[in-house]
Amino acid sequence: MTSMDSTPAPSGLDEALSNPFRADHQRPSRASRFDATIDRLSERLNPILVKEARQALKSRQFVITFSLLLACGWAWSLVGIALASPGIYFAPGGTFMLIGYYFVLAAPVLVVVPFSAFRSLAAEREDGTFELLSITSLGSRQIVTGKLGSAILQMVVYYSALAPCIGFTYLLRGIDIFTIAFVLFYTFVTSVMLAALGLVVATVTRSRQWQVVLSVLLLIGLLVVTVAWSITAVNIIFSGNSMPYQTLDFWTSNLAVVTFCISFVVLFVLVAAAMISFASDNRSTKLRVVMMVQQVLWTGWMTYCWMRTEADEMLVVFMVFPGIYWYLMGALMVGENAQLSPRVKRSLPQSFLGRMLLTWFNPGSGTGYSFAVANMASLFLVVAVLGMLAEAAALAGAPDNFGWLLFGLLATCYVVIYLGIARLIVLGIRQFAYVGMFVPFLIGLFVSLLGCATPAFLQAWWFGYSELEYSPFQASNWMWTLAEAANDDLLSTPAVPLVVGASAALVYGLNLLFAIYEVEYVRQETPQRVIEDEHDRVGAPSSEKSASGEDHHLSREP
Amino acid sequence: MNDVRPMIMLQRLHRFFDNTRAVDDVSFEVMRGEVFGYIGPNGAGKTTSMRILATLDLPTYGDALVDGFSVINDPDRVRRRLGFMPDAFGTYPNVNCREYLDFFARAYGLRGRERSDALKHVMGFTKLDGLAEKPIRGLSKGMKQRLCLGRSMIHDPSVLILDEPAAGLDPRARIELRQMIRELADHGKTILVSSHILTELAEMCDRVGIIEQGQLLAVGAVEEIQRGHAVLSEVEIRVLENVARLRQWLADRGDIENLVVDGELVRFSHAGDRREQAALLREMVLADFSIAAFGCHVKSLEDVFMHVTQGFVQ
Ligand SMILES: Nc1ncnc2c1ncn2[C@@H]1O[C@H](COP(=O)(O)OP(=O)(O)OP(=O)(O)O)[C@@H](O)[C@H]1O
Ligand SMILES: [Mg+2]
Repeated sequence: MTSMDSTPAPSGLDEALSNPFRADHQRPSRASRFDATIDRLSERLNPILVKEARQALKSRQFVITFSLLLACGWAWSLVGIALASPGIYFAPGGTFMLIGYYFVLAAPVLVVVPFSAFRSLAAEREDGTFELLSITSLGSRQIVTGKLGSAILQMVVYYSALAPCIGFTYLLRGIDIFTIAFVLFYTFVTSVMLAALGLVVATVTRSRQWQVVLSVLLLIGLLVVTVAWSITAVNIIFSGNSMPYQTLDFWTSNLAVVTFCISFVVLFVLVAAAMISFASDNRSTKLRVVMMVQQVLWTGWMTYCWMRTEADEMLVVFMVFPGIYWYLMGALMVGENAQLSPRVKRSLPQSFLGRMLLTWFNPGSGTGYSFAVANMASLFLVVAVLGMLAEAAALAGAPDNFGWLLFGLLATCYVVIYLGIARLIVLGIRQFAYVGMFVPFLIGLFVSLLGCATPAFLQAWWFGYSELEYSPFQASNWMWTLAEAANDDLLSTPAVPLVVGASAALVYGLNLLFAIYEVEYVRQETPQRVIEDEHDRVGAPSSEKSASGEDHHLSREP
Repeated sequence: MNDVRPMIMLQRLHRFFDNTRAVDDVSFEVMRGEVFGYIGPNGAGKTTSMRILATLDLPTYGDALVDGFSVINDPDRVRRRLGFMPDAFGTYPNVNCREYLDFFARAYGLRGRERSDALKHVMGFTKLDGLAEKPIRGLSKGMKQRLCLGRSMIHDPSVLILDEPAAGLDPRARIELRQMIRELADHGKTILVSSHILTELAEMCDRVGIIEQGQLLAVGAVEEIQRGHAVLSEVEIRVLENVARLRQWLADRGDIENLVVDGELVRFSHAGDRREQAALLREMVLADFSIAAFGCHVKSLEDVFMHVTQGFVQ
């Protein structure tokens, strides 16, 4: 065997060119025709999806799950009919049967699929195949969406396998098609979200021990969610025919829920992609954009909801979830490193307006802090303006007190204060030691809980539990203070809002001092070689291939 | 102008792990079409620097350029031009050789005919044709190495980084691998290949770099290094009479060390090249010594390697 005969003979090459999907001269078998069709279909699909679909067909886990699902489906059909037997010919039995099928479907779709999505990404990282993948042209987002895609594909397979059974329940009557679709749809949505979450969990750590701990936690979490959703689903199935399908509100609220679910799936995918992307990549800007989109979605839907329900509690709810959301996201962003790589600096905004508006999307703890605070504050502004307008126009939905206003203001201030303190602590620690993003997150949680627990505990200690009444001493206790504000009781202790407001201003000012340098980054020149290459790639539009290397493929050479 | 730009350039590359200086100020260049051997004992820092080149790790300090692109700032451009064959490679369950290569071809953005061409070519080149349907988990070491080489060249990269490709191969497979690497280089690929063994690389490499404890100790063509470190060649002569006088005569010279007399045999280390050895012989003859034999033993590659490296393992 010499090196010479390793170059393919031209005739063989021509043959391959004229018939790319057939390597040999034989008549294509059915399997290879099938392969060829798949090949043509798969050309535009995510490579990971194609690979995993092929793998799944040969994988024992998939075959076992699938056969079990079928077996259980059939078993339930027999058992269920037997149980309902005497009545099934005259009484509607659909509800009863559907509940059984729901559980047959929920186990693989809500537990097995998300967990195997987690495992499949985690295993790539453990086995070292991830590194090989990461140096291909696949982006980290494609890797994650490929994994998610193959999870969805599995779900679709399971759904289709059970479709005849589900159809059967409809024929049995007692349940309408809307309820069936509703339950199946939300089971699907939940499953997709769980799978995306599983992918995020897979990227959290690379160490094997932690991976084991996380997989146990994830499994517990999946079971909890499955149980919770199953209870809901069973309730929905039972109360099926009383669902308000005809009303507009039913559809709009579902639309709202679905848009949020989608936005969270996108967020999870981008988080997972950011976690596995190259260290010098910009890992935060895209995430911040998604957060911003979620904020807009929330504002829009809540405004709509408030206008429909005309309840002023809505204005409090309006601020509750964003308060938690921005605090958690802020705690993560505060842990970001402000050292921008030259690569990130190449695409920084340059114009004055661009810098003013877009700097807050740059990676960094200061910009992250400001971003969270700015979002929280703008939400508060929206709420305030809405409430005031309603008040001024004396609309029906106009709030009859100012508790909601104080609540929003204080919630914003607490986010400013506790995030700011967490950030200052992190900056302090960073002077001496390296900390990743997880520690700042924990610090954020810890600081805010400490702020609650300390005054409550001290007051209880000094005055006894029986005397535990709200006092200005509880100013740092955000839980209690906000509860008081929401109940409209806080105005009796006006010192508290003043103290909180002043501290917020102080902490914010201090933090700004330490964020100045992050704003000072300016765009860096793109190297000449990169411009050249960009030019080459645009100049040679024939294919990606010709730009990928100056030399031709070996096989084309004589 | 493509020819003046080095395809691989390490610029003062450093990589520290806590207190370990895995790569410590390494710089070298590899030109297009060149095969560069990267040699060092265990723990020398070969894998670490190759991983940085393959954009899998970031340097603590310094940079590495592939075809002019920084691995830190333009990893995606580097990746399009670079094929990496790691020392240990991960496999997927339930995947056969063809599917494995096909997957990576897709991952590198090859579509349709382009992909089937690339697959066909690579499987032919690495002689995997017969194994196409074999599951990769059942491959032998040698087959895996070939598959891995095939994977690393599926997107026709202009630079190949091969980390100990010959480890675990039988002698025949080694020779075939050497031929494959040479052939790739003849087609204009730039290749960086690592090994523990200098002799293994000597034949196929245009130049080698010897690294130990993260530091590059010598760079150059194999003969250059050999010559550079053959400062002391071992000389053995057989003299028929006047052994004692010869001993004295030699001891008086400045360029002789480690003089040992063993009956008629006189051994010493001589600092000088072959021309100077010829001069030494003539002087001895002119000084009336009856020299019956004059042998000079140039250091073997192994000796050079042992001489250059100190045998420290971090
Ligand atoms: N991830 C890591 N964490 C800590 N130390 C590391 C890491 N990777 C490599 N090292 C250390 O860096 C040094 C160089 O290792 P490297 O793997 O580059 O050596 P090598 O030349 O490839 O050796 P071998 O011939 O055994 O493959 C070693 O001391 C090793 O312990
Ligand atoms: Mg190594």
